[in-house]
This record gives sequence, structure tokens and C-alpha cells, in this order.
Amino acid sequence: MMNQASEAWSEFKAMDELAGQASVIHRLHPLVKLLVTIVYIAAAVSFPKYNLSGLLVMVLYPVFVFQASLIPIRTCFRKMRVVLPLVCAVGLFNPFFDRAPLFMLGGLAVSGGVVSMLSLMMKGIFSLMASFLLIATTPIESLCQALRQMHVPKILVTLLLLTYRYISVLLEELSVMLDAYHLRAPGQKGIHVSAWGAFLGQLLLRSMDRASALYESMQLRGWSGAFYYVRGGRLTVTSLLYGVFWIALFLLARLVNLSQLLGTLLV
Amino acid sequence: MLEFEHVFFSYEKEQPILTDVSFKIAPGEQLGLIGANGTGKSTILKILLGLLPCTGGVRVGGLPVEKACLPQIRRKLGYVLQDSDNQMFMPTVYEDMIFAPLNYGLSRTEADARVDETLQQLALTHLKRRHNHKMSGGEKRMAAIATILALRPEALLMDEPSIALDPCNRRRLIHILRALPLTKIIASHDLDLILETCDRVLLLSGGRIAADGPASELLRDRALLEAHRLELPLCLSGCPEGR
Ligand SMILES: Nc1ncnc2c1ncn2[C@@H]1O[C@H](COP(=O)(O)OP(=O)(O)OP(=O)(O)O)[C@@H](O)[C@H]1O
Ligand SMILES: [Mg+2]
Repeated sequence: MMNQASEAWSEFKAMDELAGQASVIHRLHPLVKLLVTIVYIAAAVSFPKYNLSGLLVMVLYPVFVFQASLIPIRTCFRKMRVVLPLVCAVGLFNPFFDRAPLFMLGGLAVSGGVVSMLSLMMKGIFSLMASFLLIATTPIESLCQALRQMHVPKILVTLLLLTYRYISVLLEELSVMLDAYHLRAPGQKGIHVSAWGAFLGQLLLRSMDRASALYESMQLRGWSGAFYYVRGGRLTVTSLLYGVFWIALFLLARLVNLSQLLGTLLV
Repeated sequence: MLEFEHVFFSYEKEQPILTDVSFKIAPGEQLGLIGANGTGKSTILKILLGLLPCTGGVRVGGLPVEKACLPQIRRKLGYVLQDSDNQMFMPTVYEDMIFAPLNYGLSRTEADARVDETLQQLALTHLKRRHNHKMSGGEKRMAAIATILALRPEALLMDEPSIALDPCNRRRLIHILRALPLTKIIASHDLDLILETCDRVLLLSGGRIAADGPASELLRDRALLEAHRLELPLCLSGCPEGR
């Protein structure tokens, strides 16, 4: 049986593996993916709270990327299971405050609160999915490279990269230490209170030691904060078209109510 | 090529680790660094790489080990860590191996060729696409050695290179080390490996150099070795497995 830390660690490493695959989406330029994701989230979040039908169009993007990147939607929801309830809980009280009926649905009055709750949940889920898809299709190094290309300062990007590596080291050390602890304290649930201080201190020291050894190891092999070693540094026409297409679509969806327009065209 | 001149070092004030250590290694020389646990073998390697500050003169290829020269110095040195988990930081073996060559300005095709060549040399082509966190201890060790050889250093610093290797991989490593015409420092308790790969041996004890001489002589000196908590290499101890 795996302890929770080693489960978390495996999941963390599994993201790296996902990001290392080679689908159409994975091969796109990281900067394009980053920009598309940012515009997507900004557009989705900025929809007016009663505009549910307009927001619905935004589902197209994650659906497409899930298909094209061959990443199962299941994986996404499994990884987001911890934050998902929080995101959904945000709008939970809206129906109680905002009771004015907005429209009728089959003889039932739908209040503004219900609509705004739904749209808030959707915004949250969409943003989470878009971020997940970005991370699952782009290795952290490529992302850092993209940030550098957007002129985000070197120090911030380095910090991001090292933090990312540090989280992985921390989880790994934690899982090793938990195993070592439980092997010598059979039948105990969790860590005994009396050992918390020592355990935490050790965890911090060990993981910091390892993180700095890894950083030294990077420096010894010529690292100076630049991402020469990232694949796909050049912008391709495909990437460019991909970016232009989606960004245009998001803006259009935000400005015009596409689903209503589609409805009127069809009827 | 590598030079220590009256070097003093301590991690904590009252506990000197190295006291007045001096030695010189000529280009192409292969030095075995031996000594009991905690005598400062790893420390010496780290000082050479400029990872630990010390007093005294340390020079690599004529350059003093100082902040301004570190990039040049580190370019010359390939360092295999005692713990390979700390050596590998990219998701896969391939990405780890290509990291340094690309940092040093090789094109991707050149770097790719170098990676393949190194992997073939070590008979490790099957590890190329493997994920670092899903390998056994020995596989990781071989991969870590491969990442360093792909760097094509002028001098090789190895900390316990044979640890965790199966006999076959250990043998292969010895063959490769013997065939590489580099300057080498190998810190190890595997005295058989030292005997086969090094022509000179430094014995550390109590923060000083207790002995310095040809490997074939020093490693036969049972009295000297045993006085410093070591033993004869298996192949010289008359033990039947060693022959
Ligand atoms: N970060 C540190 N802080 C304080 N003391 C340290 C630190 N690292 C090592 N030491 C001490 O320095 C001494 C030399 O350590 P070093 O790692 O160089 O030994 P070594 O010869 O490589 O031993 P081994 O054969 O076990 O690898 C040891 O006594 C150790 O206790
Ligand atoms: Mg050591």
C-alpha cells in the first residue's frame, strides 16, 4: 500500500509524463499555448453572470484539446478532485440571495441566482480545465521558456522552475520518510504528535539539501538560467494559425452571443 | 591539471575536515582517493568544483577556483555524485543527457549524436526514453554516469562510481574508465576498481594525506591499509573469489 505522499508524488511525476507525450497539441509552440490559455481564461471569467448561453460556447476549446491531445478527460477530473468542490462551492449561495426570476423554463421560473451560480461554476471548471490542459501538454521547461519569451524576468522564471522541482523533491522525501517512520512504528496512524517537530524539521532540511544538490547539479552542467535545451523553440505556421484561430474565437464568443446567433440562423 | 596547495577546510569551526592538504595531478593522470568513511573524499571533490569555499590554493587547469572562473572550470570537469538521485533533474534520461551539451552551445543534431554515441558506448540504449523516477538504483547510476560522459569533460571526478552496480555493469564501467584518456579522480571504497583504473592513490586520514604513491604498491601494503580502517583489495587478499 502506498502512503499518501508517495501517491501525490507519483501523480506529480505523472504530469511530467503526460507533458512529455507527442500529440499535435504537445508539439505546438509553448508561447502560443500559454497565450491561448491566458486569453481563454480571461474571456471565460469576464462573461456577464447571467450570460449562460454565451459561456456555453467556451466548452468547445477544452473539448477540442482533450480530443487532440489524447488526454482522457477522466485524468483531468481525477487530478482536480481536490479543488473541484471548492470551485463549485463558490456560487452555492447565489440562489438564496438573488431570487428574482430571470426566465421561464417549461413553466418553471428560473431565478437569477441559479443562473449566476451555474455560470460561476462553469467559469471555475473551464479555467481549471484550461490550466490543466496547458500543464499536461507542455513540459515545465517549455513553459518557462515561453515566459522568458514574454520577457518575464529571469529571476521569476528560475524561481518558478525551482519551486516546481522543489515540490517534487519535497513529496518524494516526505514519502520516503513516512515509509521509514511506519516501518519502525507499526500500527500507528499518522505521525505521533511527539515526533511532529523532529519530522517536519528533518523533512525541511532533507528536501532543501536535495533541492540545492539538484540546483548545483544543474549549474555544474552549464545552466545559467537560459532554456537552450527546450525542444521546439521556433514558432511554426501551424502554431501561429492555432493561436490566432482560438484567440479570435474567444474574443468573438465574448463579444457576440454565438449560441444565440447560431439559434437564430437555424430557426 | 588539478592542484591543491595547503588547503584547509571545515564545515563547522571546531571540526577541521582537511588540514593542510597539498597534491598535484598531471594531465591524464588517474588518481584513486581512498580513506575510511567521513575522511573528506567527497569534500575534496566538491572543493575542486567550487561548491565549497576553503582556504588555500586550488587550481584547475591553471585557473584558480574562484567565482569569476567557475563557468570555465566547470566546463572542464565532469562530476558523478555519490547519490544519483541528486544528479538527474529532467524527466527522462535522454533529456538529462542532452541538457549539458545544449547548454554548451551544441546544435540539437550534434547533441543527439553525442547522446546516442555515449549510450552505445555504455550499452545503455534501452534506457534512453526511460523516466528517471521509474528506474532502479543501478540503472539510475549508469544513466548518471552517461549524462556526465555526454558532457565530454577534460577531467572526470567520480564519487563512488561503482556503488549499486551489478558485476556486469561494474566490469563495463571499469573497461570504459580504462579506455578513457582523461584525467580522473575516483573516490571509492571499491579498492579493486581503484587498482584496475588508477595509477596513483591518495590515502586520506585524519584530515591529512596519510600516503601518496603508485596504486600497485600502496594497495598491496596490508599494514598501511589496515592502520587506516581499510583492507587489501579482494583480488590481492588471496580470497578465492578474488583470485
Ligand atoms: N554539510 C555538512 N555539514 C557538516 N559536516 C559535514 C557536512 N558534510 C559532511 N560533513 C562532515 O565532513 C566529513 C567528511 O565528509 P565527506 O562526505 O567528505 O566524507 P567521505 O570521505 O566522502 O565519506 P564517505 O566514504 O562516507 O563517502 C564527515 O565527517 C562529515 O561528518
Ligand atoms: Mg563520500
